[in-house]
Amino acid sequence: MNVEILLRFGLAVSIIVLGALVYWLINQRLLIRARNNVFSLFNTLPNKPVLVYFTTPDCAPCKTVQRPAIDRVSDLLGEKLEVVEINAYEQPDLAKTWGVMSVPTTFVIDQRGEARYVNNGVARAEKLLEQIQTL
Amino acid sequence: MTSQTLQKVDHSLLKAHQLMIISLNVLAFILDLPILAALVALVMGIGSLLKTPGFGFVYKNLLKPRGWMKPDVLDDNPEPHRFSQILGFAFMTAGSAALYLGASVLGWGLVWLVVALAALNAFGGFCVGCAVYYWLSRFNLPGFSKQPPAGTFPGMKPGVRASR
Repeated sequence: MNVEILLRFGLAVSIIVLGALVYWLINQRLLIRARNNVFSLFNTLPNKPVLVYFTTPDCAPCKTVQRPAIDRVSDLLGEKLEVVEINAYEQPDLAKTWGVMSVPTTFVIDQRGEARYVNNGVARAEKLLEQIQTL
Repeated sequence: MTSQTLQKVDHSLLKAHQLMIISLNVLAFILDLPILAALVALVMGIGSLLKTPGFGFVYKNLLKPRGWMKPDVLDDNPEPHRFSQILGFAFMTAGSAALYLGASVLGWGLVWLVVALAALNAFGGFCVGCAVYYWLSRFNLPGFSKQPPAGTFPGMKPGVRASR
Protein backbone atom coordinates (compact mmCIF):
# COMPACT_ATOMS: atom_id res chain seq x y z
CA MET A 1 0.00 0.00 0.00
CA ASN A 2 2.75 2.44 1.04
CA VAL A 3 4.83 1.49 -1.98
CA GLU A 4 1.86 2.12 -4.23
CA ILE A 5 1.26 5.54 -2.66
CA LEU A 6 4.95 6.36 -3.11
CA LEU A 7 4.81 5.29 -6.75
CA ARG A 8 1.72 7.38 -7.37
CA PHE A 9 3.35 10.30 -5.55
CA GLY A 10 6.39 9.92 -7.80
CA LEU A 11 4.18 9.84 -10.86
CA ALA A 12 2.28 12.94 -9.71
CA VAL A 13 5.57 14.76 -9.08
CA SER A 14 6.80 13.69 -12.54
CA ILE A 15 3.68 15.07 -14.21
CA ILE A 16 3.99 18.34 -12.29
CA VAL A 17 7.71 18.59 -13.16
CA LEU A 18 6.83 17.96 -16.79
CA GLY A 19 4.28 20.81 -16.63
CA ALA A 20 6.90 23.06 -15.04
CA LEU A 21 9.35 22.08 -17.79
CA VAL A 22 6.85 23.07 -20.47
CA TYR A 23 6.35 26.40 -18.65
CA TRP A 24 10.14 26.89 -18.50
CA LEU A 25 10.47 26.17 -22.23
CA ILE A 26 7.74 28.73 -23.00
CA ASN A 27 9.64 31.28 -20.88
CA GLN A 28 12.89 30.46 -22.70
CA ARG A 29 11.11 31.08 -25.99
CA LEU A 30 9.91 34.45 -24.67
CA LEU A 31 13.47 35.34 -23.64
CA ILE A 32 14.81 34.45 -27.10
CA ARG A 33 12.13 36.64 -28.69
CA ALA A 34 13.01 39.45 -26.28
CA ARG A 35 16.75 39.08 -27.11
CA ASN A 36 15.97 39.37 -30.79
CA ASN A 37 13.85 42.47 -30.24
CA VAL A 38 15.80 44.55 -27.73
CA PHE A 39 16.71 47.01 -30.47
CA SER A 40 13.02 47.68 -31.10
CA LEU A 41 13.25 49.67 -27.83
CA PHE A 42 16.70 51.26 -28.11
CA ASN A 43 18.92 52.57 -30.83
CA THR A 44 21.90 52.24 -28.50
CA LEU A 45 22.00 50.21 -25.33
CA PRO A 46 21.92 52.28 -22.11
CA ASN A 47 24.83 50.26 -20.60
CA LYS A 48 22.88 49.39 -17.49
CA PRO A 49 20.19 46.86 -16.60
CA VAL A 50 16.79 47.56 -18.13
CA LEU A 51 13.41 46.54 -16.77
CA VAL A 52 10.84 46.30 -19.56
CA TYR A 53 7.35 46.45 -18.11
CA PHE A 54 4.30 45.58 -20.23
CA THR A 55 1.03 46.89 -18.80
CA THR A 56 -2.42 48.22 -19.74
CA PRO A 57 -4.43 51.06 -18.15
CA ASP A 58 -7.20 48.73 -16.94
CA CYS A 59 -4.91 46.12 -15.39
CA ALA A 60 -5.76 46.15 -11.68
CA PRO A 61 -2.78 44.17 -10.32
CA CYS A 62 -0.48 46.40 -12.40
CA LYS A 63 -1.71 49.45 -10.49
CA THR A 64 -1.98 47.91 -7.05
CA VAL A 65 1.08 45.66 -6.94
CA GLN A 66 3.37 45.79 -9.99
CA ARG A 67 3.72 49.57 -10.34
CA PRO A 68 4.51 50.13 -6.61
CA ALA A 69 7.03 47.24 -6.76
CA ILE A 70 8.78 48.79 -9.77
CA ASP A 71 8.75 52.21 -8.10
CA ARG A 72 10.41 50.66 -5.05
CA VAL A 73 13.08 48.98 -7.16
CA SER A 74 13.66 52.25 -9.05
CA ASP A 75 14.02 54.19 -5.81
CA LEU A 76 16.53 51.67 -4.47
CA LEU A 77 18.67 51.44 -7.61
CA GLY A 78 18.24 55.00 -8.91
CA GLU A 79 20.36 55.69 -11.99
CA LYS A 80 21.68 52.12 -12.03
CA LEU A 81 18.44 50.89 -13.62
CA GLU A 82 16.40 51.97 -16.61
CA VAL A 83 12.68 51.20 -16.60
CA VAL A 84 10.80 51.08 -19.89
CA GLU A 85 7.02 50.95 -19.51
CA ILE A 86 4.97 49.81 -22.47
CA ASN A 87 1.22 50.22 -22.73
CA ALA A 88 0.21 47.09 -24.65
CA TYR A 89 -2.96 48.82 -25.88
CA GLU A 90 -0.99 51.65 -27.47
CA GLN A 91 1.76 49.40 -28.81
CA PRO A 92 0.10 46.06 -29.60
CA ASP A 93 2.64 45.21 -32.28
CA LEU A 94 5.49 45.56 -29.79
CA ALA A 95 3.65 43.33 -27.29
CA LYS A 96 3.06 40.79 -30.04
CA THR A 97 6.68 40.89 -31.21
CA TRP A 98 7.87 40.27 -27.66
CA GLY A 99 5.33 37.42 -27.29
CA VAL A 100 3.48 39.09 -24.42
CA MET A 101 0.06 37.50 -23.90
CA SER A 102 -0.79 38.79 -20.43
CA VAL A 103 -0.11 41.78 -18.23
CA PRO A 104 1.78 42.54 -16.14
CA THR A 105 4.80 40.97 -17.82
CA THR A 106 8.30 42.15 -16.95
CA PHE A 107 11.60 41.41 -18.66
CA VAL A 108 14.96 41.95 -16.99
CA ILE A 109 17.66 42.81 -19.54
CA ASP A 110 21.35 42.99 -18.68
CA GLN A 111 23.93 45.62 -19.69
CA ARG A 112 24.78 43.74 -22.89
CA GLY A 113 21.15 43.77 -24.02
CA GLU A 114 20.55 40.10 -23.20
CA ALA A 115 17.07 39.34 -21.85
CA ARG A 116 17.82 37.25 -18.75
CA TYR A 117 14.52 36.92 -16.90
CA VAL A 118 10.84 37.09 -17.75
CA ASN A 119 8.07 37.31 -15.17
CA ASN A 120 4.57 36.42 -16.34
CA GLY A 121 2.19 38.03 -13.90
CA VAL A 122 3.02 40.10 -10.86
CA ALA A 123 6.68 40.13 -9.75
CA ARG A 124 7.34 41.45 -6.26
CA ALA A 125 10.06 44.05 -5.64
CA GLU A 126 12.23 41.49 -3.82
CA LYS A 127 12.14 39.14 -6.78
CA LEU A 128 12.98 41.90 -9.27
CA LEU A 129 15.87 43.09 -7.08
CA GLU A 130 17.20 39.55 -6.79
CA GLN A 131 17.05 39.10 -10.56
CA ILE A 132 18.76 42.45 -11.24
CA GLN A 133 21.48 41.73 -8.67
CA THR A 134 22.43 38.48 -10.42
CA LEU A 135 23.21 40.30 -13.70
CA MET B 1 -17.41 43.21 -31.22
CA THR B 2 -20.70 44.54 -29.82
CA SER B 3 -20.98 46.70 -26.71
CA GLN B 4 -22.18 44.76 -23.70
CA THR B 5 -22.61 45.17 -19.97
CA LEU B 6 -19.82 43.54 -18.03
CA GLN B 7 -20.07 42.52 -14.40
CA LYS B 8 -17.62 42.59 -11.54
CA VAL B 9 -15.94 39.20 -11.32
CA ASP B 10 -13.53 38.40 -8.50
CA HIS B 11 -10.72 36.46 -10.17
CA SER B 12 -9.20 35.57 -6.79
CA LEU B 13 -12.38 33.61 -6.06
CA LEU B 14 -11.95 31.75 -9.35
CA LYS B 15 -8.27 31.15 -8.61
CA ALA B 16 -9.01 29.71 -5.17
CA HIS B 17 -11.60 27.43 -6.76
CA GLN B 18 -9.06 26.21 -9.32
CA LEU B 19 -6.36 25.69 -6.68
CA MET B 20 -8.77 23.53 -4.66
CA ILE B 21 -9.57 21.45 -7.76
CA ILE B 22 -5.85 20.97 -8.46
CA SER B 23 -4.95 20.07 -4.85
CA LEU B 24 -7.81 17.65 -4.25
CA ASN B 25 -7.42 15.90 -7.58
CA VAL B 26 -3.67 15.42 -7.14
CA LEU B 27 -4.32 14.14 -3.62
CA ALA B 28 -7.01 11.78 -4.97
CA PHE B 29 -4.50 10.42 -7.49
CA ILE B 30 -1.68 9.97 -4.97
CA LEU B 31 -3.91 8.22 -2.41
CA ASP B 32 -5.81 6.36 -5.16
CA LEU B 33 -9.11 7.72 -3.87
CA PRO B 34 -11.68 7.86 -6.68
CA ILE B 35 -14.20 8.97 -4.05
CA LEU B 36 -12.26 12.21 -3.62
CA ALA B 37 -12.33 12.82 -7.38
CA ALA B 38 -16.07 12.10 -7.31
CA LEU B 39 -16.44 14.59 -4.45
CA VAL B 40 -14.68 17.25 -6.55
CA ALA B 41 -17.11 16.45 -9.38
CA LEU B 42 -20.04 16.74 -6.97
CA VAL B 43 -18.90 20.13 -5.63
CA MET B 44 -18.41 21.40 -9.19
CA GLY B 45 -21.87 20.11 -10.08
CA ILE B 46 -23.47 21.88 -7.12
CA GLY B 47 -21.52 25.03 -8.04
CA SER B 48 -22.81 24.79 -11.61
CA LEU B 49 -26.40 24.56 -10.35
CA LEU B 50 -25.93 27.50 -7.99
CA LYS B 51 -24.05 29.48 -10.66
CA THR B 52 -21.05 30.04 -8.43
CA PRO B 53 -17.56 28.47 -8.25
CA GLY B 54 -18.10 25.25 -6.26
CA PHE B 55 -15.10 25.75 -3.96
CA GLY B 56 -15.77 29.47 -3.62
CA PHE B 57 -16.81 28.89 -0.01
CA VAL B 58 -13.15 28.20 0.91
CA TYR B 59 -12.19 31.64 -0.41
CA LYS B 60 -15.18 33.40 1.15
CA ASN B 61 -14.92 31.77 4.57
CA LEU B 62 -11.19 31.18 4.98
CA LEU B 63 -8.77 32.67 2.46
CA LYS B 64 -10.29 36.15 2.09
CA PRO B 65 -11.22 36.83 5.74
CA ARG B 66 -7.72 35.82 6.88
CA GLY B 67 -6.10 37.98 4.21
CA TRP B 68 -4.36 35.02 2.57
CA MET B 69 -5.85 36.03 -0.76
CA LYS B 70 -6.85 39.52 -1.79
CA PRO B 71 -9.80 40.27 -4.12
CA ASP B 72 -8.90 40.83 -7.77
CA VAL B 73 -12.15 42.25 -9.11
CA LEU B 74 -12.26 42.78 -12.88
CA ASP B 75 -14.92 43.75 -15.41
CA ASP B 76 -15.72 40.42 -17.02
CA ASN B 77 -18.50 38.06 -18.09
CA PRO B 78 -19.34 35.47 -15.43
CA GLU B 79 -21.15 33.20 -17.95
CA PRO B 80 -18.02 31.77 -19.64
CA HIS B 81 -16.59 30.88 -16.21
CA ARG B 82 -19.83 29.09 -15.32
CA PHE B 83 -19.68 27.23 -18.62
CA SER B 84 -16.08 26.35 -17.89
CA GLN B 85 -17.12 24.84 -14.55
CA ILE B 86 -19.85 22.81 -16.27
CA LEU B 87 -17.24 21.47 -18.71
CA GLY B 88 -14.94 20.63 -15.79
CA PHE B 89 -17.85 18.94 -14.02
CA ALA B 90 -18.54 16.85 -17.14
CA PHE B 91 -14.89 15.75 -17.39
CA MET B 92 -14.70 15.02 -13.66
CA THR B 93 -17.94 13.02 -13.75
CA ALA B 94 -16.72 11.02 -16.75
CA GLY B 95 -13.35 10.51 -15.03
CA SER B 96 -14.96 9.38 -11.77
CA ALA B 97 -17.32 7.04 -13.62
CA ALA B 98 -14.38 5.56 -15.54
CA LEU B 99 -12.51 4.99 -12.26
CA TYR B 100 -15.49 3.20 -10.71
CA LEU B 101 -15.87 1.10 -13.86
CA GLY B 102 -12.25 0.00 -13.59
CA ALA B 103 -10.88 2.09 -16.48
CA SER B 104 -8.11 3.62 -14.33
CA VAL B 105 -5.97 5.03 -17.13
CA LEU B 106 -8.92 6.80 -18.77
CA GLY B 107 -10.29 7.92 -15.40
CA TRP B 108 -7.06 9.39 -14.05
CA GLY B 109 -6.28 10.78 -17.49
CA LEU B 110 -9.49 12.80 -17.40
CA VAL B 111 -8.78 13.90 -13.83
CA TRP B 112 -5.28 15.07 -14.83
CA LEU B 113 -6.76 16.86 -17.83
CA VAL B 114 -8.96 18.87 -15.46
CA VAL B 115 -5.88 19.53 -13.26
CA ALA B 116 -3.91 20.77 -16.29
CA LEU B 117 -6.72 23.06 -17.46
CA ALA B 118 -7.25 24.42 -13.93
CA ALA B 119 -3.49 25.05 -13.63
CA LEU B 120 -3.42 26.83 -16.98
CA ASN B 121 -6.21 29.08 -15.72
CA ALA B 122 -4.80 29.62 -12.22
CA PHE B 123 -1.16 30.22 -13.22
CA GLY B 124 -1.37 31.24 -16.87
CA GLY B 125 -4.58 33.31 -16.80
CA PHE B 126 -6.05 31.37 -19.72
CA CYS B 127 -9.48 29.78 -19.30
CA VAL B 128 -9.94 27.10 -21.96
CA GLY B 129 -13.64 26.60 -21.10
CA CYS B 130 -14.19 30.36 -21.55
CA ALA B 131 -12.41 30.24 -24.92
CA VAL B 132 -14.74 27.39 -25.96
CA TYR B 133 -17.74 29.48 -24.79
CA TYR B 134 -16.64 32.49 -26.87
CA TRP B 135 -15.94 30.24 -29.83
CA LEU B 136 -19.47 28.79 -29.60
CA SER B 137 -20.92 32.31 -29.26
CA ARG B 138 -19.67 33.02 -32.79
CA PHE B 139 -22.25 30.54 -34.08
CA ASN B 140 -25.10 32.40 -32.29
CA LEU B 141 -26.01 29.32 -30.27
CA PRO B 142 -28.74 29.95 -27.67
CA GLY B 143 -27.21 30.65 -24.26
CA PHE B 144 -23.87 31.74 -25.74
CA SER B 145 -24.47 35.43 -26.22
CA LYS B 146 -21.48 37.08 -24.54
CA GLN B 147 -18.43 38.46 -26.30
CA PRO B 148 -14.95 38.77 -24.76
CA PRO B 149 -14.37 42.10 -22.95
CA ALA B 150 -13.00 44.72 -25.36
CA GLY B 151 -9.33 44.22 -26.10
CA THR B 152 -9.21 40.82 -24.42
CA PHE B 153 -8.15 37.66 -26.21
CA PRO B 154 -11.00 35.10 -25.85
CA GLY B 155 -10.34 33.07 -22.72
CA MET B 156 -7.57 35.29 -21.37
CA LYS B 157 -7.96 37.16 -18.11
CA PRO B 158 -9.33 40.69 -18.80
CA GLY B 159 -6.74 43.42 -18.91
CA VAL B 160 -4.89 41.38 -21.50
CA ARG B 161 -4.56 42.69 -24.98
CA ALA B 162 -5.84 40.51 -27.77
CA SER B 163 -3.06 39.47 -30.12
CA ARG B 164 -3.99 40.02 -33.72
